[in-house]
Amino acid sequence: MENLSPEVLIILVTTVVSGIAIMIGTMIPTYMQGKAAEKALEGMARQPDAAPQLRTAMLISMALIETASIYVLLVVLVLLFANPLITRFFGG
Amino acid sequence: MDVIKHPIVITLFGIIPIRDTVVYTWITMGLILGLVLILKFIKPNLLEYILELIIGILDDAMDVDDLHPYIPLLGSLMIFTLFSNLISIIPRMKSPTADVNTTIALALIVVFSVHIYGMIKKGPWTYLKEFASPIFMLPVELIGQFSRTLSLAMRLFGNVLSGDLIVAIVFSIVPYLIPIALTAVSMVSGILQAFVLTTLAALFISSAVEINEEDSKVKKEKDSGIMRLFRKNRKDMANGESKS
Repeated sequence: MENLSPEVLIILVTTVVSGIAIMIGTMIPTYMQGKAAEKALEGMARQPDAAPQLRTAMLISMALIETASIYVLLVVLVLLFANPLITRFFGG
Repeated sequence: MDVIKHPIVITLFGIIPIRDTVVYTWITMGLILGLVLILKFIKPNLLEYILELIIGILDDAMDVDDLHPYIPLLGSLMIFTLFSNLISIIPRMKSPTADVNTTIALALIVVFSVHIYGMIKKGPWTYLKEFASPIFMLPVELIGQFSRTLSLAMRLFGNVLSGDLIVAIVFSIVPYLIPIALTAVSMVSGILQAFVLTTLAALFISSAVEINEEDSKVKKEKDSGIMRLFRKNRKDMANGESKS
């Protein structure tokens, strides 16, 4: 490990951190989306008359939950393709 | 990556650089305009049906007594977002909404028009006073406005970009058959995002223009000048229509 240059170290750490971040950051919102869909489907099965309103509310809330994982994706994309640390410390 | 970079294509008059996002936005606008003109002459009923569909979606999302002032903004927002999300299925085209500048512009339009509609409906002073009704809520409201803008922009941008990026990555690994399925997934996500953006804008507007019980008393006493002008314009339009 001693003969690694700092740039390589930063790239290595960034890649590993990106992988972990996208794993956790998609796992939890997807779990919550599953819960939202489960509850909405239960409601639709119980009251089929209210299905259109429930479907709309479910779509909107799922898109809002999706925002969290999209933020993770944006951070990971910035880290992988436009890493600010490398340009800041080593002048690009 | 080809999807992420936005190079300068042409320079207008030697000073204004035009990036490729702007060119794709122009192509999208031309496509919408051409489609509407063709439909207007060939199948006017279909155009009317699409308009009724959009009005139905907005009517479900908003609970206001008069929907008419909001239909031009929200309808065109929906149509433009839908077309620009879906235009990347044409080869060598990129979605204009896969650039963060376009989505921030759309989110700023939405947020400012929410305030303008609120001011028109309630009067500027009444509307602004609601922000600081307890005075310590003012910073929270301001942060809320900022984060609302940011989340509107980033949601659309991230969804469209991730759809395009996944298609591009899979295309570079397996060029046959498999990208079709992912294109379908990104199309569904694009349609859903256009729907969600419009619904959220409608919700924001309807929460800005809803009138409380005590506010309605104030509203009766001082009718704002802008609203009177608005009503007069509409009355003129109605008279003109009945004459013709």
